[in-house]
This record gives sequence, C-alpha cells and structure tokens, in this order.
Amino acid sequence: MVEPLQLQAAAWALTTSLELALFVQLVRRKLQRIYPLFFAYLVSVIFQSAAVAFLYRNANLDKVTVWKIAWGTQALVVILRSLALLELNRTILSRYAGIWALSRRLFLCVAVGVIAYDLALSKGAWQWLIMNGIRGLELAMAAVIVTMLIFARYYRVPINQYQRALAVGFCLYSSFYVINYSLLEKVVQQYAVLWNFLGLFAFIASLLVWISAANRYAASEEVAVPPAIPAELYGKLSSEVNRRLYLLNQHLIQLLHLGDRRQ
Amino acid sequence: MSLPIILLILFALLLVGLLAWALRPPTRQIRPALDVFEALSQSRHCSRMSHILQVLQPEDTEYLRESGQVALMQSLRQQRRRIALTYLDQLQEEFETLLEISRALAVMSPQVVGMQEMERWKLSVAFAMNCAYLRWRLRLGLQPFSGFTLLSNMATDIARQLDTATTRIAQAAVQGAGHSALGHENIDGL
Repeated sequence: MVEPLQLQAAAWALTTSLELALFVQLVRRKLQRIYPLFFAYLVSVIFQSAAVAFLYRNANLDKVTVWKIAWGTQALVVILRSLALLELNRTILSRYAGIWALSRRLFLCVAVGVIAYDLALSKGAWQWLIMNGIRGLELAMAAVIVTMLIFARYYRVPINQYQRALAVGFCLYSSFYVINYSLLEKVVQQYAVLWNFLGLFAFIASLLVWISAANRYAASEEVAVPPAIPAELYGKLSSEVNRRLYLLNQHLIQLLHLGDRRQ
Repeated sequence: MSLPIILLILFALLLVGLLAWALRPPTRQIRPALDVFEALSQSRHCSRMSHILQVLQPEDTEYLRESGQVALMQSLRQQRRRIALTYLDQLQEEFETLLEISRALAVMSPQVVGMQEMERWKLSVAFAMNCAYLRWRLRLGLQPFSGFTLLSNMATDIARQLDTATTRIAQAAVQGAGHSALGHENIDGL
C-alpha cells in the first residue's frame, strides 16, 4: 500500500511539473505581457516549491528558520495572487469606466467585510490572527471573483475564455483552501497529511484549468469596447428608465389589487 | 465546530455554487448603442391595461350565466385569462427590455450612479415577484371586484405618465445621439 507521504511527494512533483508547464505555455503564447502579475504569481509559486524542497532536504535547520521561510514564501504567494486577481478584474472591467468605478467600491466593501468577519474569529490570539488573516484573504478573493463575475453577467460585460479560466482557477482554489483550513483547524487535525494531500488536488485542478485555457488562447478573443456616452446623458436616461420601470411595476400592482379585491 | 466556522464553510460552498451560476452563458446579448436608442421608442404594452382589466371583469360575461350558457361563460373566462397571461408576458418582456437598455447605458457611461443601479435592481426583484404571484393567481382564476372604475382610471393615468416618461427618454436619446455625433456639447436643453 502506498504511504500518504509518498503520495504527497508524488503530488508535489506533479504540481511542480504542471507549474513549469504553465510557465512555458504563458511564455509561448506571450500571455506574460498581458497578465504580468499573474505571471509573477506563477513564478512565486515555482519559487515556493523550490524553497519547500530545500527545507525538506535540510532537516537540520531549526524550527524557527523553517517557519519563517515557509510563511515568508506563503505570504509572498498570497500577496501576488491578490495582485493577479486585481489585475484580472481591472483587465475585464476597466474598459467600462462607470462600471469599473462602481465595482471597485463594491469589491472593497466585500473584501473588507469578509476579512473583518474572519479576523473576528481569532478573538485577539495573534497566532490565529496570521492564519485566520490568510484564510480571510482567500475567502475575500473568492468573494471578489464571484462578485466580479456576477457583475459582469448582470451588465453583459464580455469575458474571454482565458479570463474565465483564470477566475475559475482562483475561485476554486481559494474556496477549497477555506474549507480545507476550517475543517483542519477544528475537526481533522489528526489526518493533516492526508488533508494537505487533498488540498494539493485543488491547486492541481486550478493549474490544469489555466494550462488548458492558455493552450487554447487566441489574441482574437479580445472584445471591442462599445462607444461612450456623456455621463449627463446616462444620468438623464437612467433616471427616466427607472421611472418607467417603476410605472410598469405599478401596473402589475394594480393587477394584483384586482385579484385582492375579489376576496 | 462553532457556528461561525460552519457559516464560513457554508459561505465558501455558496461561492462555488454562485461561481457555477455566474459562468452560465447569458440568455440575452447586449444591444449595440444604436439599437438601444431605437428600442427606447418601442414596446408600450402597458397602454392596453384598461382593456385587460375590462376582459377580466366577471360582469362582462355574467349575462351568459343568466341566459343558461354556463359552459360557454367558463370557456370565455378561461380564454380571457389566457389573454391576460399573454399580456403579462409582454409586460415582462417590456420590463426586461428596459433593464437591458439600462445595462447598455451603464456600460457606455463613464460614470455610473450606484443608487440608481440599486434602485433598478430593487425594482426588478419586486417586478419579478409581483409577476410570478400574479401569474399564479391568474391561473387560478380572477373574480370580480367593486372598484373597477377607479382602477381603470388609475390605469389610464399611469399609462399617460408612462407615455410622458417614454417620450422624455426618446427625446434625451435622440439629443444624446446628436450630441455624440456632433461632439461634446452641453445637453442642458433636455
């Protein structure tokens, strides 16, 4: 029977191979120019894999150094992932100035709300503050991605296949991280090795989604931006459209009263 | 496991569900700018409101009962309810077209007013709920009510207001299109 640690080592090897494959795909398709922060994030992940391999080969290092290296690389990866996510949102929405300005405020509210809720669970214990802070950040990232996608869907903002794949990869990984960490913290600490191994699968799935999208990426996927109208015109038309919507609603309410009065 | 942690896990699962929902292809495509301005001058099904209210009046078919043709009366009422349901579909179509237009306007505008967008969202939720409720009631069959004249007058009044609103939208759209074509002049005259 295969030991869990052997399985984990195999999963790590697979993850690193996939990271390198994605790196090659991004360079080959010149996507590092369009999404430089995502590329930087990928480089940081590869760097983290190298750092972890170094830590495993040097078992004589003291625990504090190991802790510092491990969490230092993790902090770098999380920060770069947040920046890559912001880059993705900006790339999708910034072509529409009004929508982008509104969505930025919304994203900020969602992110601050989620992180604050998660940090409140630490109850002032600093050792949990860092861990919960990262979990809060991951959850905030997932929430911001979903908000962005709902926003884009509501306003019919076009999203190409590659951007879609990036969003799916980020969201799946972050959501699974939160579930994984929350269960590990309270329920399955005794199965930490197995649980970490399962956690790697979420990242492997994200890498596969990204590699597949990068492989299919075509520059022609870029969409045309609609012509702009003056803000004053939007204001006037928007309020009139709202008025008409309100009146249509009143129509319906009248019909409803027709039903009510029969009783 | 504490309740806040359970809520956190449920929230993460909800996000995955919402992700799947948000990735579904849209049922309607965004309208081009010119199409938006054209659509603003169309679809005013609400002006037929008083006729619909009329056909839903039981008094309109009550004479059939008195002449002993109950089956015919029921059949007629059923047909009229079907007409009312079709009218409701058209009303919903008009509402959704307006929502599409407002989205297209927001996408084209360099500045979007959050309060107006929120107001529109609330209206669309209220409309969807009212529509579903009314459809359900129509399928069960509507009965007479005493204040029909008053309601009919209200309907006429709202139809008139709607016409005014529509005219103003069309005027603003036409002037806005002219404004876009001529350059960036003031549109205070709207």
